Amino acid sequence: MAITRRQLFARVGKGAVPAAVAITVGTDVLKAAEPIPVPSAAVGLLYDATICIGCKACVAACAEANNTDPDTRRDSLHQAPSDLNDLTRNVIKLYKSDDDKEYSFVKRQCMHCLDPACAAGCPFQALHKDPETGIVGWTPEKCIGCRYCTITCPYHIPRFQWAGFNPRVTKCELCRHRLEKGLKPGCTSVCPTGAVIFGPRPVLLLEAKRRIQNHPGRYYQDRIYGERDNGGTQSLYLSHVPFEKLGLPELGPESVPARTLRWQRRFYQYFALPAVLYAGLVQVIRKSVKGHEEEAHEREKQTGLRAQL
Amino acid sequence: MSSPSQAIKQDQSKIRWERYVPVYGFPVVNSFFLGLAALVLVALILTAVRELAGLGPVSGMNDTYGWGIWKTFNVMVLTALGSGAFAVGIAAWVFRRKRMHSLMRMALLTSFLAYACGLLLLGIDAGRPWNFYWMVFPWKWNMHSPLAEVAICMSIYAMIPLAVENIPPVLERLWYFDSRLRPVVSIMERRLHYFFPWIIAAAYLLPGMHQSSLGALMLLAGERVHPLWQTPWLPVLYLGAACFMSFGCVAGTTMLCCLIWKRAMDMDVLDEAARITNWLIFGWLGLRLFDIIFRGALGTAFRFDRFAGVFWLETILISAGGWLLIWSVRKRDPQKMFVGYVLSSFGGMIYRFSPTTLAFRPNPEALYFPATIEVLVSLGFISLGVLGFLIAVKRLAILPAPLQEWYDMASYFRFRRPYIRWTGYFKFGYFGEEESGTAAGSD
Repeated sequence: MAITRRQLFARVGKGAVPAAVAITVGTDVLKAAEPIPVPSAAVGLLYDATICIGCKACVAACAEANNTDPDTRRDSLHQAPSDLNDLTRNVIKLYKSDDDKEYSFVKRQCMHCLDPACAAGCPFQALHKDPETGIVGWTPEKCIGCRYCTITCPYHIPRFQWAGFNPRVTKCELCRHRLEKGLKPGCTSVCPTGAVIFGPRPVLLLEAKRRIQNHPGRYYQDRIYGERDNGGTQSLYLSHVPFEKLGLPELGPESVPARTLRWQRRFYQYFALPAVLYAGLVQVIRKSVKGHEEEAHEREKQTGLRAQL
Repeated sequence: MSSPSQAIKQDQSKIRWERYVPVYGFPVVNSFFLGLAALVLVALILTAVRELAGLGPVSGMNDTYGWGIWKTFNVMVLTALGSGAFAVGIAAWVFRRKRMHSLMRMALLTSFLAYACGLLLLGIDAGRPWNFYWMVFPWKWNMHSPLAEVAICMSIYAMIPLAVENIPPVLERLWYFDSRLRPVVSIMERRLHYFFPWIIAAAYLLPGMHQSSLGALMLLAGERVHPLWQTPWLPVLYLGAACFMSFGCVAGTTMLCCLIWKRAMDMDVLDEAARITNWLIFGWLGLRLFDIIFRGALGTAFRFDRFAGVFWLETILISAGGWLLIWSVRKRDPQKMFVGYVLSSFGGMIYRFSPTTLAFRPNPEALYFPATIEVLVSLGFISLGVLGFLIAVKRLAILPAPLQEWYDMASYFRFRRPYIRWTGYFKFGYFGEEESGTAAGSD
């Protein structure tokens, strides 16, 4: 039986609406509690705050390894950046409790999250997680300098270069240029006490677990920060003080993008719902435009003035 | 016996906005215009400085507050005010509120200017703007990024559907400008009308997407946005705020123009707009309050800190505005209506501004306050929009008016300014005489 074009459109439309809704609601994009896959050759850092002596050798080595000028802006003499900045990818900070009884150094650099919020927000994939090594790297050719990464990163790691007409985003990229040559990242190659070590993520996790087992009661909650926090990170932390004091917020086991963008991601899955919405809008508006044009021409005949649509 | 004021009110209620008529009899260039032009010039010079020196020296932005007023005010807040083409358009074309068509050209113009100036400033605010060319390659987009969604959708929307929707007044002017152009203009108009439904539908889908994505931007910031603002409903609330703010902007600007250029107001249209705005406002406030209570964040509103202060300021402004709007419809009082629009839009502006700046607290020690240059550039690009508006309303038929105004304009040009040849609208054609014949002939 032949059908008219109108009937065909109507039938396709009737099928498309439930299909689009099904794609939107039923899509398996980041269902809750689904573990995030770990890259096959994920490498990372393990920092142990109980061993760190705060010598800052890693800070100097980091700048040298990345061919960055030392940040001596504080007193124009010492390389003593107070925080991460456009010249500093790696910094040692000191936490002291109010009563001075408890203190700890902390090394801050990119956490290389398994599901990085910076890359989730980056509009043109300038910040991109390497599918093999899992290193979150920055590509200058794709970056528009919107600074969204500085807003989204829950650890506040990427920093923007505020001066100059050709600004860069500075963040630890695990010395990927050195890894290619078979070298270790700058910070781990100079650490005198082995407070920060480099290796494949599973090996680092085993090492951290071994340390926790060998020293019961030494580590905060006998927990490795980054094993599950924020969906898992590739920079792992051991500490004797609460992680929050070191600037590592308790984010829960779900990653920030998975937790916050779930509906956003579903809505735009395959562009199904927007497409159906558009088709519906066109149908309604076609009818309105037709009616409006008829009224306008009616009015034109009454007044003798040209219709304004 | 009715009192004189009642008689005037009755007379006012008979006024119908039946036609868009340009503002005539006022020069485009006056001292206000020149002042704005000076601001624009200053902003352009400072933009050049910014491009050479970088963002740090010219702005108050820092590592903690990576976004300054260029993004948070000129884009987030002003495009919300400029969503008139979206909100008023949906009321007119989708929900078929026929009276809203009188406000459509005003809505389209303000939207186009707000978006164009916002996009320009977005380009200036970007640190590496030359990389925007990636926008041309869809496979390079990060489709799940709210910012990509905003940047791409906003540019496409402003450059294609919104620009095309603004073409009819221009074509109309060409039609009146020279009778020899009429056949060409008629063909172009017919082609435009053929594609109109698809363009209009895109003009509602795209802003719906990017105005909500503007809210989704701050979702990724997580706990660092104060719980009174941080909610999974942020995209919906941002979109809702854009709706009532843009109604306020369109209707309020129209009222202001009527006041300045002594136009009659059609209270039926304005009352309906006020009623719609009122529903939008109280629906939005209800959703917001329900969400805050449901998430258990209400307690933070009763702390004595700046966050609670900002929250109450915006809530009180928006609800007072909404309340004034109902009252004005009941009392038929345009003055209260205007104040209602101003208050509610201002409250909405604070709401759209808050999550990125006032309620964003990444670090208790860091502060952001815009630098002078930043403010001047921001003001300059707002002035650019106002300049465009002033030129457009005086050269194109944007403002709605009673039918009589059209004949008044015709006689004004014919008898008071017979020597002006270049203002168009009468050069070879004549008002009200040849029009219907030519129009009928062209059909």
